[in-house]
Amino acid sequence: MNKEESQYYHALYILPDNCTGCTACVRVCPTEAIRVRDRKAWIDPNRCVDCGKCIEVCEFHAILPHSDPLDLIQNFKYRIAILSSSYFGQFTEDISYEVAKQAVFELGFDEVQEEAMVTEFMISMIRDYIRGNRAKRPILSSNCPTVVRLVQLKYPSLLPNLFHLEAPMSILTSYIRERVMEEKGIPEEDIGIFLIVPCPAHMTAVHQPEGAYKRLQDGAFSIGMIYGRVHEHLKNLQNNPPQIDTYPKGLTWALSGVQAELVDCEDIRTLSVNGVENVMEILSRVEDHYLDQYDYIVLRSCTNGCVGGSFNVENPFVAMSRIKKMIKEGENAGLDTQGLEKLYQQGEFDVSPLAPRSILELDKDIKKAIMKMKKLNEILTTLPGLNCCACGSPSCYALAEDIVQGKATIDDCVVLLRRHSKEED
Amino acid sequence: MARAFAAARSDMAEYLHIQSGREQAVRDFIEKPPEADVSLDSPIPEKDFNSAGKGSAEVKNLLKRLGVNPEVLRRVAVSAYEAEINVAAHSQGGEMLSHIYPDMIHVVFNDEGPGIADIEQAMVPGYSTADEMVRELGFGAGLGLPNIKKNADALRIRSEANGKTQLEFLIFFNSDE
Repeated sequence: MNKEESQYYHALYILPDNCTGCTACVRVCPTEAIRVRDRKAWIDPNRCVDCGKCIEVCEFHAILPHSDPLDLIQNFKYRIAILSSSYFGQFTEDISYEVAKQAVFELGFDEVQEEAMVTEFMISMIRDYIRGNRAKRPILSSNCPTVVRLVQLKYPSLLPNLFHLEAPMSILTSYIRERVMEEKGIPEEDIGIFLIVPCPAHMTAVHQPEGAYKRLQDGAFSIGMIYGRVHEHLKNLQNNPPQIDTYPKGLTWALSGVQAELVDCEDIRTLSVNGVENVMEILSRVEDHYLDQYDYIVLRSCTNGCVGGSFNVENPFVAMSRIKKMIKEGENAGLDTQGLEKLYQQGEFDVSPLAPRSILELDKDIKKAIMKMKKLNEILTTLPGLNCCACGSPSCYALAEDIVQGKATIDDCVVLLRRHSKEED
Repeated sequence: MARAFAAARSDMAEYLHIQSGREQAVRDFIEKPPEADVSLDSPIPEKDFNSAGKGSAEVKNLLKRLGVNPEVLRRVAVSAYEAEINVAAHSQGGEMLSHIYPDMIHVVFNDEGPGIADIEQAMVPGYSTADEMVRELGFGAGLGLPNIKKNADALRIRSEANGKTQLEFLIFFNSDE
């Protein structure tokens, strides 16, 4: 198998022994990153955007998400967990917000913090950014790592429109690390900060952050894995309800629609989009300047936002409903944002301009690209047009493209092969 | 195939606009239209706003594969989309033909329908003859043709009353000239 060298890390991997070569993943991949060759699936690391669609669709558990082992926290003396907002949508309603949060302490963390703490601060930072960058209208949200990678790969002209400041969990990481060092006098190397994440894209972002000036976190665990571990502690905690701070008003971050509504105000018009197909359609329309009436577009690859991430255990609609209930009924604990404000003014949350990673070009030289396109069209007329995937490429067009690029041959088409063998009979 | 900017008949209304600085290149193309390297065609059914826009999306994807500059790409996409919507909204249906060369794209729209009675007037921003149904769908603001004129390097429209209308535009890939 042709294993191309790549500089890109991905939070998913294939177990060849389990793979039957069924091509379900090939069809569902939004960037056509997967091929089945020699009856095994292979993911092109240059094209993968970590959306997790292939993990969800694989019936044979042949594509698995990567998660750091929980033991990793033992390498640090002071351990901090930061919870993605969608975590709180995973539990049945008899388990309170406080219990769900306290249970994470039981896994061996010294501090448990929430993405939701900084939502309000994020909203004002986003508004600030939009008002300071009116010429780049519309600004596109950059919290979803899959969206950022999609823009790099397929819509590079929109890179300047991305919101160029860190996401809330990263902002919180810088802030907490600074605070713990200062208040508790703990040296930097003894502090371990870990994210509890809803999807492979956030896992990848921890290990290979786009545009970050430094690596911020020490590891990440999937919500599903943590959910399994905290379960045994829930009963006990329910009998002794803990008294801890919670930030229900900030849980909006897990829901793309509610987040857009919060940023929306008199001089800022917002649009919320979720689901990877919708995201791609909207990006294409933004590219043509048909959505210039919006100042800010919240884009999330998963259904309803982060509650739809493939590491969650609950259905995205049920999780959304639970979180909405918490937002409505709860009150936030107080949070002094002075420290955050200071770091923001110092430029600690800036990210470097993102570079394009275009995957569409047939060739760098337009004359050669046109020659390839001509050849591609010729090949396409000979292919059956069934888009059956039996060759291992996602469509007849993709196979023609693979042939032109020297990654497949016409003999890979099973339908043509059968027709030819019938003619010979 | 009606590919080039062929000579007009006298019973046809004609409109031609060329961006300044592009006159020579456009004239060269009109006089001796080269053979296109890659062509694409797609039908445009009458009043079908679900599929109108598919042809321009296809062209955009093709140009992305050729590595065409994003700003040029946007001008092609906007012009093609506006013209496609025009055909769907006003005619009884037609077709879109795209011809791609190493240095430019030539897109032709042919339709059968009422024709454009007064092309000069149709070029005025805000002027529209779109009917109620088209307006209810959010189209028909009278910005289609002016938008194409602004984005294309050359635009030509030829139209006969109650007959054939042809709109074609040229966009060059290199923006400095």
